[in-house]
Amino acid sequence: MKKIMALLVMVLILASCGKNRGESLYLFNWSDYLPEEILKDFEAETGIKVIADYYSSNEEMYAKIKAGSSGYDIVFPSTDFAEIMMKQEMLEKIDLSKVPNIKYLDERIASKIDFDLKHEYVIPYSVGATGIAVNTKFVKDYPHDFSIFDRSDIKGRMTLLYDMREVFTSALVHNGFAPNSTNENDLIIARDTIINWKSNILKFDAESFGRGFANEEYWVVHGYYENIVSQIEDDMYEHLDFFIPEVGGTMYIDSMVIMKGSKNMESAHTFLNYIHRPDVYVKIIDYLEVPSINKEAELIREVEPVYTIEDLERTVLLKDLGNTIDLHNKYWNEALTR
Amino acid sequence: MKKNKFSLSIFLLTMIFFYLPLVFLIVSSFNQGRSQVWTGFSTIWYQELFYNSTRLWQAFRYSIIIAISSAFLSTSIGTLGAIAIHWYNFKHKKYLQIISYLPLVLPDIIMGVSLLILFTSTKFSLGLTTIFLAHTTFNIPFVLLIILSRLHEFDYSIVEASYDLGADEFQTLKKVIIPSLMPGIISGFLMAVTLSLDDFVITFFVSGPGSSTLPIHIYSMIKFGVGPVINALSVILIAGTVALAVSTKKIQKYMIN
Repeated sequence: MKKIMALLVMVLILASCGKNRGESLYLFNWSDYLPEEILKDFEAETGIKVIADYYSSNEEMYAKIKAGSSGYDIVFPSTDFAEIMMKQEMLEKIDLSKVPNIKYLDERIASKIDFDLKHEYVIPYSVGATGIAVNTKFVKDYPHDFSIFDRSDIKGRMTLLYDMREVFTSALVHNGFAPNSTNENDLIIARDTIINWKSNILKFDAESFGRGFANEEYWVVHGYYENIVSQIEDDMYEHLDFFIPEVGGTMYIDSMVIMKGSKNMESAHTFLNYIHRPDVYVKIIDYLEVPSINKEAELIREVEPVYTIEDLERTVLLKDLGNTIDLHNKYWNEALTR
Repeated sequence: MKKNKFSLSIFLLTMIFFYLPLVFLIVSSFNQGRSQVWTGFSTIWYQELFYNSTRLWQAFRYSIIIAISSAFLSTSIGTLGAIAIHWYNFKHKKYLQIISYLPLVLPDIIMGVSLLILFTSTKFSLGLTTIFLAHTTFNIPFVLLIILSRLHEFDYSIVEASYDLGADEFQTLKKVIIPSLMPGIISGFLMAVTLSLDDFVITFFVSGPGSSTLPIHIYSMIKFGVGPVINALSVILIAGTVALAVSTKKIQKYMIN
């Protein structure tokens, strides 16, 4: 009896595996990044079935794909990872004639992807900046850049991201150096800046800064806007000031790429084009509350972001550093252990 | 008397240690706000869970399918394997026994990586099937161990009695051995279900497109903070587990009779 049951269940599983025969599209995306509604509309409109999985960090996604989890058609890496994947020939070239909607891209920002200016491999999905959130109930009169972390009077109430790239690049740019500097002198100054910040912050935190800010445990946090607003209650907005540092800010572009060996090239192109249709894209930016990289969608949006695309122009896009990363890592580790 | 009090307080402390987090979880699942700050009683997260979380339920469904099916297969194989190891003598039996326990102590991550290498090098496409195979594999040693310990207490004379009364080997297995092993088989099965529901590391490696189980799905939500919807789901899971634990005793009785 039991064995029959087991057999039955097995058959059921196998059957459910082979069900998706029609046109389908496999996505690997950040969680909570694409409104469910858009996928449903896309399926209804095109008849293409979307199967989506989710990840929480670029590293996780990259490890998964590198380890041989092929079968995804479209992945959403941040540009630094997109560049690595492009260099390693993990991406399929995009036939731009099938994606006419990229004409809406705002080239002021899209051109920051300088390793693929024509968007033949990497199409921007969304843009955002790393900023600093301040609880104005407790902190008053502060500079709008990283020197807020020099303030020792609010010691132990501040956090910086636990992320080498974010903090080290910010420290370099804050001191007026190039973000990918290899100059020993620059790196030492950046390191000492971080050591100084470190003496005033409670900790480096990349996971729970949003929650800590919502609990009023942290007053000044370095991080992403969406992580903070997803945690705070409505009545806290009046005490929230989120700003992009005037010098030393970093930004990110998350992109869409087609994976090499994709079995659904047609559907993938349809999807890329669909996302950048202004009436679709506007739903994404209204959901994420980020500036729009799609010029048409920007005009019809209903939710205004806390920072604009112009704010992003003065920030640095994090890019693949190649071998320089080891050098930066060395000084970062020195800053952490001193 | 004094000693009694001491052991009682230790017991109570342990219980508090175990159950306090659960109490917090249950309470915060009824919180109106998103954060840990209490803002009022509400069931909106349960509404959100039941009406607005298709992806979560999809992952949950996959988890349950995998857990039950892999537990069935691993219990069947494990039971037969345990009987074979216990009663039959063959060359190198001892080594075989040791090898069969090895996955118990092997770190999950090694198991995961090795399965991944196996699947990718044999061009097996990753998905629910590979998760099912992996879970069955790591569950077998646990079932084996539980059934073997049951067999050690087994009264061999009833098997002899069964042969004396004219039963053949298969009939003895079906009518005598399996029924008297039933409590062990059931606890092995439940153990396998639990382990399978729990597993993150191995599943992470062998899952493919469109096959996220519940732990994998929850992990992917970390970036935006694991939301209160997960609290609500956890409370339902706890309720389910409690119901299962309470009813297990009854099931066992029923199965033996």
